[in-house]
Amino acid sequence: MTFERSRRLPTLVFALALGAATAWAGTSPRFPAPAQIAFHRSQQTLRAGLAQDHLQARRASLGLGSLEGFRTAAVSTNALGEAIVRLDHTFDGHRVLGSQAVARVPLGGAVEASTDAVLKGVALSGQPLLTPATATAIALRHLAPRGPMEATPRVEQVVFPASFLGGPATVTDPVTGKASLDRHRTVHARMASPYVWAFEVRTRLANKVDGRKELTYHIDARTGAILRVVDEVRHQAVPATATGRGQYSGTVEIPSARMADGTYALYDPTRGTQPNPTLQSFTPDESGWSATGLQTWYEQNDAQGNNTWMSYLFQGNATNAWGDGLPFTAYGDEGGPNGQTMGVDAMHGMAWTWDFFQNVLGRAGMDGKGTSVFAQVGCTGTYSRENAAWSNWDQGMALGTGTPGGPGAFTDFDVIAHEMTHGVTGSTVGFLNTAGFEEAGLDEGTSDFFAQMAKAYAAAGDPYASTLPASGADWTIGAGVFNGTPLRWMNKPSLDLRSPDAWYHGIHYLDGHYSSGVLNRALYYLANGAPADASHPAYSPFLPQGMTGIGYEKTARIWYMAVSEILVSGGSGQLTFLHAREAARRAALYLYGEGSTGWGWDSPASRAVENAFGAVNVGLNYGEAPRTQVRFADFRNADWIERHHADSALGGSRQYFPMGERVRPMAQVLNNANTAVTWTVGGRSLFNGAEQMVHKGGVINADGTWTTPTDLGWFALTATSVADPRQSAEGRAFIVNLDADSDLEQDAVDMGALSYSWYLTNALNPAHSVFNAPWVDDGDVATFTDAVLATWWVR
Amino acid sequence: MFKYLLLPAALLALSLACSSGSEPAAKPLVAATGITYTDPVSTGWRLVKDPASTPTRLLLNLVGPSGLKTRGVGFNLQLPANLKAGNFTESGFPIRDLGVYELFNSDPYPYDGSVVPGSDPLEPKLLAGGMKAGNLLTVGIFQKDRRLSAKDSGVPLCQIALETASLSGLNAGDPLKGLVITKARYVAEDVGAFDVAPTAEMARKARMVDATVALGTLTAR
Repeated sequence: MTFERSRRLPTLVFALALGAATAWAGTSPRFPAPAQIAFHRSQQTLRAGLAQDHLQARRASLGLGSLEGFRTAAVSTNALGEAIVRLDHTFDGHRVLGSQAVARVPLGGAVEASTDAVLKGVALSGQPLLTPATATAIALRHLAPRGPMEATPRVEQVVFPASFLGGPATVTDPVTGKASLDRHRTVHARMASPYVWAFEVRTRLANKVDGRKELTYHIDARTGAILRVVDEVRHQAVPATATGRGQYSGTVEIPSARMADGTYALYDPTRGTQPNPTLQSFTPDESGWSATGLQTWYEQNDAQGNNTWMSYLFQGNATNAWGDGLPFTAYGDEGGPNGQTMGVDAMHGMAWTWDFFQNVLGRAGMDGKGTSVFAQVGCTGTYSRENAAWSNWDQGMALGTGTPGGPGAFTDFDVIAHEMTHGVTGSTVGFLNTAGFEEAGLDEGTSDFFAQMAKAYAAAGDPYASTLPASGADWTIGAGVFNGTPLRWMNKPSLDLRSPDAWYHGIHYLDGHYSSGVLNRALYYLANGAPADASHPAYSPFLPQGMTGIGYEKTARIWYMAVSEILVSGGSGQLTFLHAREAARRAALYLYGEGSTGWGWDSPASRAVENAFGAVNVGLNYGEAPRTQVRFADFRNADWIERHHADSALGGSRQYFPMGERVRPMAQVLNNANTAVTWTVGGRSLFNGAEQMVHKGGVINADGTWTTPTDLGWFALTATSVADPRQSAEGRAFIVNLDADSDLEQDAVDMGALSYSWYLTNALNPAHSVFNAPWVDDGDVATFTDAVLATWWVR
Repeated sequence: MFKYLLLPAALLALSLACSSGSEPAAKPLVAATGITYTDPVSTGWRLVKDPASTPTRLLLNLVGPSGLKTRGVGFNLQLPANLKAGNFTESGFPIRDLGVYELFNSDPYPYDGSVVPGSDPLEPKLLAGGMKAGNLLTVGIFQKDRRLSAKDSGVPLCQIALETASLSGLNAGDPLKGLVITKARYVAEDVGAFDVAPTAEMARKARMVDATVALGTLTAR
């Protein structure tokens, strides 16, 4: 913005100002009282004249010619008592379309003018050849009214800049709900020069035959071409309540909107007042749609379920009744009733989850700023069909169709709420969600937990409630999608045969959807308590005496405070379950800190946090003595490679061994005199799924040594304490080929072969690398020496 | 095992045969408490005793032919059952760098220009060794950066330590047999050019050269 302050102080205004200043002493200098505003308004015309004089005097400095000037278009008085004057830029007395200055004239008359929007270099050749009446006739011929005009068209000669030339216009088909070219309003005209004389013709129709129309035309005053057609009616979607039949939610009322054409869309303009970062790349048409609000879109597939990469808003519904309540099978007709079913479930989950975060936790949307969120249902493709994903970039979700005969559509409530919670953590703690880091489990566990809380909130049925009910969560994830069998059990995560019930050293190797079991169970305990009955599925051997829970409400507020106000990751991967425990304890003391020793030191809530996390082997139970712990030794702890190379996704405790050798892996046992461990090949992270990068191999010998595999790569090993079999550690052994000189022996002489190729990309002999890589670098050097040290150490 | 038992008996027999009635009686046998090493007579690759050795910790320096420029050397040394290798604290391995070869990267580390070459003691180096099964000591010391110049090998290049394990059954003066170099190779000065499709000449120069390392004699003391 460019402002220039006038130095002129007209005598009259100055005198008024002095008098007024005396009279107003003692009141706020910024916001005058209403009576004083009335005085300022009485000065509007005078101040508009000052603004016009100011800008007229600045014409030369603005690059304007002698034929150009300014004319007051509108003036008002703001809450500060300043006159706000909008001035049209004129050429030879005629308005230059879209070229305006805005001036601010306070008490005292010192004008500040913004002239950024004043067009420079306006030049026209010739004079209009059309008359105003001819231009009006051209406009009316295009308007083609079938009934009587409500008012005579208004005509004004203007200067038309090329930047305002119309182009393709779109319209939404009320039947298909798809945008198409509006041939009536599309303009294909060309202009003879950057500025031409034009007639602006404003028309208004309002009768039974034509309905209501207000179109403004700009007609080239020399050629008669239509340069621009603008619909002046301001369309807006109106909030409405739809009836939906969801596969998972049943028959429900869901938010929707009545669009400009009278049809309805799965579009909730009441939640999310800030535009969605992805949706705002679409230009609003005249349908009433904008990039704000909760929105449900669908992916358009072909009949075989192949993605066409086209997406549409669920819209064009005349009855506002959506879905058939059946599992999705109608590939190619995602916008039809069967596809709408996915949209119903998605909108149902979105609205309740939004309300839970807003009404209970005081969070405006996922990002805390009220940004619009969308769900895109019907996604297919190898990754998307049987999955659901949140994108922080998009502030939206991609939800798979599932597979007929297999998993259903990924639009069940807990899936929606889980994904939306990723939007909360994505804009707060910022967990890194990659196997190799414990906080991947914190990320997924947080989403699972708040999905339960949103589920309980929805089950209570009051969309305005500011508290959580005492029950209503089922503490499972994905049961609907997977035909009744949950994907995850939060009270006993190991029921999925993948997730651990408790923490162990090396849990970070697990995918976050499995390591989440630790947080899921801890928060389950915190909310519901833990049983003392060893036969109960939720029984924890780490807390045999059990505990009493503190309820949904406190647990939700404690964990929300932990992730939104205490924990900091920033995507670094630095957070552990132990950090989570401490953050929850701090939050408990902050929110519910009343205890026998005063506030904030020790309270029933903080003890419950300690026991809930102690029950999943994250720290100790309240007052418990140190536990036995097992640690897999790390050969590269803080060495040069660690400091100079980016860590791998399989980072953490690693040991390096040559292939086919008898070696002794190393583990530490803490807090127990008996340091013996039992080794087993493999570990839980073997179950990470398709992205598996670790193997199981070799043989554990009777003397505890390990005869290593003869294949290169990562191998999982697990050490279990002999004294306390509850405690174990999983680590990684990397098996390397030290025979760099290819003489069929692995020894220190092989290092000479490495020296030939060090730091030569695509070097002479790829076999020189201990990794069989096409180059040799310090990774080989350090690994070679690590492996020698681990295998052939001097006893 | 049979060979070692036989040897003291033979020495005893010789001693008895050489005695005469006027000569004093043969020295009584004294149980060995350490070892001595007599350097080999060689100007090629050889292991020579370092003056800092002690009776129970023999320090051997590897010396190469004077005038032969090399970039590193490694060898496997079979030890008698009476001996074991000793570690060096500074390297953590049973081999010590004697400072002839430059073991560090000659440039600042490519990913982090702030590192001055050779300034980081933790930078990975091709200096390592250990004990393989069968009491086989394997050690190596090599330059990793082929841009550095080769070094004259006629000086002590690296050092190993042999420590007494069990000398029971040995008497002072008994020879210790079984010290054998089973493999020795060095990297020559000319490592040739390189290419993604190496010629036969390039491939030949990218292989280490076999070396014969002369050993001295070990005797119990």
